[in-house]
Amino acid sequence: MPFTAKSGKFNASIKPVTIGSGDKAATIGGENVLPFYSFDAEIANAPKVGIEVTDFGMEHEPECLKKYYDGCTTAADMVKKAVAFEGVDFISFRMEGGDPNGANKSTEDLMATLGEVIEAAGDMPLVICGSKNAERDAELLQKAAELAQGKNAIILAAREENYKTVGAAAGLAYNQIVGAESSVDINLAKQLNVLLTQLGVNASNVVMNVGSAAAGYGYEYVASTMQRIKAAALSQNDAQLQMPIITPVASEAWATKEASASEEDVPGWGDVESRGIDMEVETAAADLACGSNAVILKHPVSVATVSKLIKELV
Amino acid sequence: MATLFDVVFSGNDTVFGLTEGAIDAAIKEHGEDKAIAFPNTAYSLPCYYAVTGTKVGNLGELKAALGVVKTLMTREKRLNDVFMSGVATALCAEFIEALKYIDGAAPYAEPCYGHLADAIIRELGVPLVTGDIPGVAVIIGAAPTAQEGVDLVKSYQAQGILVTLVGGIIDQCAELGYKTGANVRVIPLGADITAVIHVVSVAVRAALIFGNVAPGDAAALMEYTFKRVPAFVNAFAPLDPVIVACGAGAIALGFPVVTNDVDTLAAVHANVPKSLIGQADVSKFNATSLEARDIKIKITNIDIPVAFASAFEGEIIRRGDMQVEFDGSRVDCFELVMTKDASEIEDHKIEVIGPDIDEMPEGSKQSIAYIVEVAGKSMQSDFEPVFERKFHSYLNCVEGMMHTGQRDMIRIRVSKDTFNAGFRAKHIGEVLYAKVKSEFAAVVDKCQVKIITDAAQCTELRHNLATPMFDKRDERLLTLTDEGVDVYYSCIMCQAFSPSHVCVVTPERLGLCGAVSWLDAKATNELDPEGPCQVITKEKVIDERIGEYEDVNDAVRKFSQGALEDVSLYSIIEKPMTSCGCFECICGIEPLSNGVCIANREYAGMTPIGMTFPELASMTGGGVQTPGFMGHGKHFIASKKFMKAEGGVGRIVWMPKDLKEQVADRLNATAKDLYGIENFCDMIADETIAEDPETLLAYLEEKGHPALTMEPMM
Repeated sequence: MPFTAKSGKFNASIKPVTIGSGDKAATIGGENVLPFYSFDAEIANAPKVGIEVTDFGMEHEPECLKKYYDGCTTAADMVKKAVAFEGVDFISFRMEGGDPNGANKSTEDLMATLGEVIEAAGDMPLVICGSKNAERDAELLQKAAELAQGKNAIILAAREENYKTVGAAAGLAYNQIVGAESSVDINLAKQLNVLLTQLGVNASNVVMNVGSAAAGYGYEYVASTMQRIKAAALSQNDAQLQMPIITPVASEAWATKEASASEEDVPGWGDVESRGIDMEVETAAADLACGSNAVILKHPVSVATVSKLIKELV
Repeated sequence: MATLFDVVFSGNDTVFGLTEGAIDAAIKEHGEDKAIAFPNTAYSLPCYYAVTGTKVGNLGELKAALGVVKTLMTREKRLNDVFMSGVATALCAEFIEALKYIDGAAPYAEPCYGHLADAIIRELGVPLVTGDIPGVAVIIGAAPTAQEGVDLVKSYQAQGILVTLVGGIIDQCAELGYKTGANVRVIPLGADITAVIHVVSVAVRAALIFGNVAPGDAAALMEYTFKRVPAFVNAFAPLDPVIVACGAGAIALGFPVVTNDVDTLAAVHANVPKSLIGQADVSKFNATSLEARDIKIKITNIDIPVAFASAFEGEIIRRGDMQVEFDGSRVDCFELVMTKDASEIEDHKIEVIGPDIDEMPEGSKQSIAYIVEVAGKSMQSDFEPVFERKFHSYLNCVEGMMHTGQRDMIRIRVSKDTFNAGFRAKHIGEVLYAKVKSEFAAVVDKCQVKIITDAAQCTELRHNLATPMFDKRDERLLTLTDEGVDVYYSCIMCQAFSPSHVCVVTPERLGLCGAVSWLDAKATNELDPEGPCQVITKEKVIDERIGEYEDVNDAVRKFSQGALEDVSLYSIIEKPMTSCGCFECICGIEPLSNGVCIANREYAGMTPIGMTFPELASMTGGGVQTPGFMGHGKHFIASKKFMKAEGGVGRIVWMPKDLKEQVADRLNATAKDLYGIENFCDMIADETIAEDPETLLAYLEEKGHPALTMEPMM
């Protein structure tokens, strides 16, 4: 009996979302197959890779990054270099210093830095991330959405605690893309999308961050959440879960012991730089395989590697 | 005699005449091609653009637009004509105001703002959408005295409401040196009545920017302003026809008008309920307006002299540390929520009847009764016990306060430290008020609390008010049957750790955790419509016997993300409902006796099935269907729907002694109803009688247990 391959093409698809504008605008989502199942149907928009820069510039970056950002000190300096790195599809700027339990930088300072970053990024698409403190982010991301008017940037993220402010500012007042962040739970992810659309945000202007973890650090929860979301979006045509997924990897991967422990402390583990890159690439590859439509990385080698991986597969 | 129609139509005609004259004069002076626009807006002229979808760029177009406005001015004596004339008046006002800006003029000087830029709307729009600005007040004219006017402005400002001022009130604020400006959210617009259009323009542009309303879609615009822009108008006497016509425009957008000119209202027989309201007392404008526009002010802090946090929830107050004790087991005490009509409730009124805590001897046992009276458009008396059950955790969160029990069996202790910090009876009211208003904001509009410490009154009210209420509720619970309701509810609270489990909660089958009854699920759904409890219809019966419905299956499939295909509500063998892991009890088949054994979580021993509770739990949890095993709440045991498909409670052959005692009364009653058996629980074995199947069977045969003669289960 002849073997007839069955197509795994679904009648539903992920909503395509375009970030930025002009020649370099990047579109994520749009596929109607499982991640990388390009043999079932064409995947028009390959997953995209972003590179992360924080408001601290080079100050908090691992030693191994220095040679790539030679001569850079501020975030804007780094962005100018990063736009030319191989495989970079977008710039992600994270306002780490806004955390009230950390540096607690003033909103004015952060907006000044963001302004420089926006200029340095030129026509490269932008993702603007908050401080991870929901209350502070309500204020920061509202201002950031205003400052980045016309950039069609992803504002990451609106969470359950601040979705009204961030959603209204980014999604309604200033026409940006709202990043909806939930913590590794399909129901919470869906609920946040429902709440955002009820607020009036257009569902085609929403991307999800459904939670992230470094490989080996409770990662199975992330994997299973992403897979279930993709399954519900495609096989059950659940419109409230069809937003593309963007996953920040850098902040998780580089915070692990494997990426940060010095060679003196753990002589047997080998070169610290390649350990960090490994953690980042492994995590990103897993995220992509589970359904992320974009990942945010830190190391230029990781970016180039993951970008090559995507090109080979799609 | 003039009617409301006459007044609005004449006001509209006056304004239209003025506008026509002004436009003609401007064309004469500047020519038809002269550009006209409000500064700093992409929507010029915003109101006209929003209503018609046409932008006006020069005087010629403005003249043409006036022709369109004329078509709105129909003169039938119907309410719709009044509203449309109001809209026409507003558009005329916009045209008059626009003319003021001709040639880049700056017609408004400090403190007035006149036209507000798009940037201000984007900035104000965000807190309006989030509810941080709970409302927008438009105050027109001069208050009877400057002080009353300023007091009114201040009262709104204190609630975070954005205040805009038109006419005399601006001078009154200036007279008393009251600070105004966008930064303090009190915005004087202008002296002329036409300046009111600048706040209408804010509402309209909010709809375009935040509501994605398409310009020209007047119906969508009005729906947006009605539903999403919580604005209202306060117009001071005397009302002239122009103000009344503008007011009609406001009402058309969904903004109620409150005025102290009751004489004019009476004279024109104005009767537009909930939209045009006479309130002679200016000091009550605030309350009247908020109620009319359904604005709820967020409560952020609880006004008590000690801390309030969940950290204090488990605090124990020993006798020696106790200032006073209220003990429902010795004297008459109770706690009660009652639904009232809104007119019977003065929001945030807290009344103490009887001696306060400082008049009670230290260490004494006292009576207390607190009645929380609530009103709300969406309030249902079914929610009363749901609120009441939360009092335990509210009062426990107070530092130095302990609360146990419920209904008329409460016991409360207040510590000496808390008493010394100034805690008194009224603070109990403050806590209950603040929590009920904030946690149940979706259904509670107004709330007041009565705290009764007078022993005689407590006794009287307990017997004549509380007990009958509790009895009535119990009766309601008893009469709630699966057949008697139209919908069931899903509950997926546990999906965080049991991702494919869905509970279907029905009146006769509560959640398997025992914590979510049908009423709880209903309340959860009403309070948080996007939350874990969703409505499930039950219209398409597949099999009455096992309780299988097409709609229930659809819901289960949806909420389990496809993991579960179908469930029955009343069978343990055929498609049984799944369990997360929170079950109070597990029921499993005991083959030898043709019955089932139930073990509760607290039971540590062996069951005749040969498995302990943890072993049964490993078979039953995780959201998978295991025919023959079922997790359920304790309350379900006495339900007539318990294993209905397999013959009902008559299948129960074994339960731990403790559990049997807990459910005995109700279970005996159910068995009597179903099979006519008296004292059915005596036929059920427990661990003191049997822990293995053979001994169990012998006992059942001796007692003549009904399971032995039922059809084989498998």
